Amino acid sequence: MITTGPEISTAPVVVLGGGIAGLTAARELLRNGLDVVLYEAGPSVGGMADSHHDPEGFTFDTGAHFITNRLATATGVYEQCRAVESYGETVWLGGRSYDYPAGLLRVPRFVRAAIAERTHPRHGSATSAADRFRREFGTALADEIALPLLEAWSGAPATELAPAVADKIPSGIAQTVGLKLAARLTHRAVAVGYCQEAPQSANVWHVYPERGISAVCESLAADVADSIRLRSPVEAITVSDGRAVGVRVAGREVPAAAVISTAPINVLPKIVEGTDALERFRAFRFRPMVFVNLRLQGRDLLPHTMTWTPEAQLPFFRLTETPQAMPWLAPEGKTLITADIGAEIGDEHWSMDDGELGERCIDALVEIVPSARRDYLGCRVVRAPSAYPVFHLDYELDRQRLATSTGVDRLLSIGRNGEFAHILMEDVYWRTVRRARRLARELKSGAPVSV
Amino acid sequence: MRSAGTIDGITALGPDSATRSPTRRRARSDRPEPGTRPLALEPARCCICGTRDAEPVGVGEDFEYRTSPDSFLTVRCDHCALVYLDPRPTRAEMTTIYPDHYHAFTFTEDKFGFVYRVRRRLEARRLLTAIGKVPPNAAILDVGCGDGFHLELLRDFGQPGWRLVGVDLDPRAADAAEARGLVVHRGTIETVDLEADHYDFAILIQTVEHVADPAAVLAAIRRVLRPGGRLLIVTDNTGSLDFSIAKRRHWGGYHFPRHWYLFNDDALRRLASHTGFSVDELDTMVSPVNWVYSIRNALDDWGAPRPIVEWLSLESPIPLAAFTLFDWCNQRIGRAALLRAVLRRDPE
Repeated sequence: MITTGPEISTAPVVVLGGGIAGLTAARELLRNGLDVVLYEAGPSVGGMADSHHDPEGFTFDTGAHFITNRLATATGVYEQCRAVESYGETVWLGGRSYDYPAGLLRVPRFVRAAIAERTHPRHGSATSAADRFRREFGTALADEIALPLLEAWSGAPATELAPAVADKIPSGIAQTVGLKLAARLTHRAVAVGYCQEAPQSANVWHVYPERGISAVCESLAADVADSIRLRSPVEAITVSDGRAVGVRVAGREVPAAAVISTAPINVLPKIVEGTDALERFRAFRFRPMVFVNLRLQGRDLLPHTMTWTPEAQLPFFRLTETPQAMPWLAPEGKTLITADIGAEIGDEHWSMDDGELGERCIDALVEIVPSARRDYLGCRVVRAPSAYPVFHLDYELDRQRLATSTGVDRLLSIGRNGEFAHILMEDVYWRTVRRARRLARELKSGAPVSV
Repeated sequence: MRSAGTIDGITALGPDSATRSPTRRRARSDRPEPGTRPLALEPARCCICGTRDAEPVGVGEDFEYRTSPDSFLTVRCDHCALVYLDPRPTRAEMTTIYPDHYHAFTFTEDKFGFVYRVRRRLEARRLLTAIGKVPPNAAILDVGCGDGFHLELLRDFGQPGWRLVGVDLDPRAADAAEARGLVVHRGTIETVDLEADHYDFAILIQTVEHVADPAAVLAAIRRVLRPGGRLLIVTDNTGSLDFSIAKRRHWGGYHFPRHWYLFNDDALRRLASHTGFSVDELDTMVSPVNWVYSIRNALDDWGAPRPIVEWLSLESPIPLAAFTLFDWCNQRIGRAALLRAVLRRDPE
């Protein structure tokens, strides 16, 4: 039998938050022989990876999620999943749709501008997201598609955003073509550009749990059930001499060998006591999102599963018809289109009545789906106050620093909101697993925790 | 251990194979029709360094027997290069993942005819070469002897004075070996009562990849070998060309979910050193089986017509012969399908 060695501290590692990151961290720490307590403020686990089932028989997430067979296997939900047979994206521009990305090559002005950038490269490195997108895609495509989408998504001018917002998963043209070909041959939606923390391959494709994405967190939670404390908001994280030493829950001080937070990084300074090392993260902003889930008669109404809508006259910047890829998420003969609207808390869209939001989306949708008004059945709205990190130039250096450390020993900030990173579920999973293992190793050795 | 005419796989599982972590909630006592019930799984760790520091490599299913609807993940240890199944079935699932029609239980001359006879000759030669010089009355132990295939080869082609002993946990296997007139101890190498410092040579052929704790098995073998005694290990090679090509899903050597620990030369050296052995010989060995099954698994996974899938099997001499030739070329560059090591028990 392999043993895990002696523990340095008898106090548990405390995890804040029961989303995929918190649950993954807790499970991996337990598997590495550490004691763990996970405090979740709400009455159930799931966090942003939650699913909603409405009385009309539709299932939708907080924004559309996709996972892979590999993540489903690692989290123990594979046998609850069905394969996604096809997945594609289009861009809606000037009253017609273009397949993304190959279809955009049919537009001469995009091609001309892109070639011009290649033949006359600009000097120096990009100074902003706007600059970088123009260099990479050419001015025409950047100005008409990439930058309007980025601005709708971020709520800030692209000239004020860091070039890093355009970081993408490295994937050669040959590899991408190969993966797309594999998707056709295998009738599986092979994941392309989805995950950077584990290798892409023809054998990693999109799947989706029958009952919605919440199955992932439910499965992880079942593995760590004894460690979870629901309805237990952490009031404070105590730092002493630059090291996290405990938390306060319901007025009670709980010692901790280390603290792992999944809270949005700009919230973390508000609950940390005993240091001002995290103050710089207060300035970080998240873009709130309003997800309007439109129920419609019919199926396959959009050109493909996802349609990007960069034009300013449309209130949303992206439409996703999940039943195209996952038919079981809507009753037969009906479909669900999720409209993503970037918002600020308290602004017009954030505060608007649900019915009115639905009407506004349908009014705009008729441009793409002419029968939308006639086939509209109603909507449900999900509001996410911290949906996407905004990579503003104002705090870009601090953002880069956060990638290596919170600045406090034994205080980790993980997950999409905790890391302040543009990462999807599988990246969250593998990154968190690695960080949890490293923490376990360092706690056992008594070394400073730098992760 | 597809090619071993034994049931080695379930024989050497130690009594401590269950880890301390809780099993999955979906483990239930009721058993629906085979193949529809998810297996009870438990997390694994590297058997050499004891950590879980590993990166994902492949993801696949039980393509051959479809004993469950699960998908399985293999990972590679950051420190030891060992590839292992994580999570893996619990001990309670052994009878599910090794069904009665498992090929190793049915590798007989009646069923496999020509292939069986060819393999018998080849294996005998390989075995005798590996054993090399031992006393005329040498004590030889087959760990996970299965139905006695290898012991019988030694009896038929080896020295008449050799004292041959097998160890096997599975009663189906032990009964079959005894029916051949062989001496078999029932149990695992960690639990059977064998004399310490006694055996001149031990064999562990296509078994080490099946066991719950290879380090514990090697330690137990070391105990019963006399000082300077040797151990032959044959196992699937993750340094092979077929692994490089098919490791993401379809590699025959994964044999999902029955192969739990898979080695390349580096990992095997580490295991040897960790358990008190030195390496006398370490090279690769030709086998067509993983090639044939890698292709079969891919075709099966992609929904190819059944006759084509079925044709690629241990009963098909043509693909076996073709890939034997091909793997022979790989052996020239040290990347054939199997690893073969002769280890020597270090002095205390």
